[in-house]
Amino acid sequence: MSDRQKEATSLIVEQLVQSGIKLVASLPDDWIAPLIHAIDTDERFKHVPVNREESAIGLCSGAYFGGIPSLALMGASGLMTCVYAITKINYSYHIPLFIFATLRGVIGDPRPHHISNGLYLTKLLDSISLPFLLVEERKTIGRIPAAFKHCQAMNRPEVVIFSEAVLLGEA
Amino acid sequence: MVITSAGVTSGTWWRTTHDMDRAFYLGASMSMISMFGAGIAMGAPKLPVWVFMGDGAFVMNPGMLMVERDLDLPNLKHFLISNRVYNATGAVPLANAKRNDYAAIARAVGIERVFEVDSLEGLHSQFEKIVLEPGHTFTVLEVEPLREKPGGVPIDDVESKFRFGRYIERTAGIKIFRHPAPDPLNR
Repeated sequence: MSDRQKEATSLIVEQLVQSGIKLVASLPDDWIAPLIHAIDTDERFKHVPVNREESAIGLCSGAYFGGIPSLALMGASGLMTCVYAITKINYSYHIPLFIFATLRGVIGDPRPHHISNGLYLTKLLDSISLPFLLVEERKTIGRIPAAFKHCQAMNRPEVVIFSEAVLLGEA
Repeated sequence: MVITSAGVTSGTWWRTTHDMDRAFYLGASMSMISMFGAGIAMGAPKLPVWVFMGDGAFVMNPGMLMVERDLDLPNLKHFLISNRVYNATGAVPLANAKRNDYAAIARAVGIERVFEVDSLEGLHSQFEKIVLEPGHTFTVLEVEPLREKPGGVPIDDVESKFRFGRYIERTAGIKIFRHPAPDPLNR
């Protein structure tokens, strides 16, 4: 990991601390693996690796009733699989849920198996009225606590989506 | 606290208990209630959390057991109602219905306290071990499919959220909602 990536990772982690998040449930894609490692080794969080992204949705939704501020951390593909869980649990019962995901398949991401994410992820989120914050510049990382607070106030899910450049510390 | 799943578990628990405060009828989703229950159990470690799901829900996400084992929450009790069919949708058999060994799956991921019950006598004899002794448990209840559906639960989803949440706030002393529960009006 480059120094710039370490710095970006550390900045994101500090924003999670500032938000008051204590529990992180994760399933990786390669862009967020360093962030997962950082959270896993940070005693300020309880990190729970899950078997599939829906389990993170269930765990974090239950944690709301346990009074534990939480984050579901996943890649773009994982978020795409969670429409059922989110619309059934969080929409039906008005349970807030904070999610981090990756902005895969857009210009700059050459991996062909992420094309569908680039084409459809943000359109999908719009189609189910799921608010999201696109983090494509370093300065936007500082809005994470506000996004978390907004999510709690709305009693709805909210997603923060990171570009590769931001996660690498290059934006 | 009890969390029930989509399918007939919610209607069955409601018909049996008429409980709207300690029970959360997560009838809108399948396969996530043990994770949902785990989140509650983590935040309220002194409260027992029972989750009931049918095997139709379980087979959608059997990997949940890996996460349960990892968490090893002593107050989480997972009950799997195994009738080998999708009872709520025409009693259509599950895939591989006759061979699925749910207890073996649980043991294979390292869950130590796994129980298999196929009679009321068996439930009576093992009940204390399953629910009263501390420690995460996974219990398979082998039952016949219901001939008659139990009906729905007469509570709106959002009302359920607040009744259940306020119960947890009162009993576990956890703050869930932005505002404290209003004092009852004295009339």
